[in-house]
Amino acid sequence: MKILIVDDSRVMRQIVTRTLRQAGFDGHDLVEAADGREALDKTTTENPDLVISDWNMPELTGVEVLRKLRAAGNDVKFGFVTSECTPEMQQQAESAGAAFFIVKPFTAERFDEVFTPILG
Amino acid sequence: MIVDIAVNGENLAEMVEQVWTAYLDPEGINPLIRSGDAGQVSEVHSSVSITGSWHGHIVYASSRLAAAAFLAVEQDEVSLDDLTDVLGELANIVGGNVKAMLPPGADLSLPQVVLAPESATRYPNAQRITSLYGLWAGEPIFVSMWQSSTDLKSGALA
Repeated sequence: MKILIVDDSRVMRQIVTRTLRQAGFDGHDLVEAADGREALDKTTTENPDLVISDWNMPELTGVEVLRKLRAAGNDVKFGFVTSECTPEMQQQAESAGAAFFIVKPFTAERFDEVFTPILG
Repeated sequence: MIVDIAVNGENLAEMVEQVWTAYLDPEGINPLIRSGDAGQVSEVHSSVSITGSWHGHIVYASSRLAAAAFLAVEQDEVSLDDLTDVLGELANIVGGNVKAMLPPGADLSLPQVVLAPESATRYPNAQRITSLYGLWAGEPIFVSMWQSSTDLKSGALA
């Protein structure tokens, strides 16, 4: 599977990659984007199977990216990994069509729980 | 508006310990040890501000070595950009978790990073209300929460 990892922090993209590996999800094709605009572009050009996205980012927020994708008819599996977790944000994510909501700091166990049904 | 915030020193310590357990000590062999030593000296620090239903700042300070450990590479391979990135992310994570415990309507700023000791930054019209002093692998870690005096005058204290 191809996975797009979106975060404006290179360190956090690295930690997400490391945690995917620790959770046993090896062998997937990983692509990265450093802001919301790049995420939108790469979701179109790279055609990933899964997008793991930060919420607060320059250009477009994660939820704005998701809304734009859905408005354009793109049905890619999309979810959030974010340090902010309010009930309002979770509701917005759900309404926009997010498949998961992971709060930082996260563990390999949490990744396993969320991504096993998606990645197998 | 009087905001009786539900974040105390113990909550702050739990959040910081979660960050360590998740990213630096998943096996539970090199934990963050609370030192309580207010005399610890930091080398770098970062902060985020919260506005809206609560006004104040969350500050993370540590040695360069402790911050660089998150990158999982040798110290001499850590660039200033990497160090800045990780410090900003640490303040963002702790700030985001604090925000989740505040009344609805709180906004989190983007992080600010200062490659100088924590004492180099002043927070006008704010008082430190909670602090956590710890050591990780012998390196100093310091997290504090500052509340705006406007909030304090309204009677809001942890």
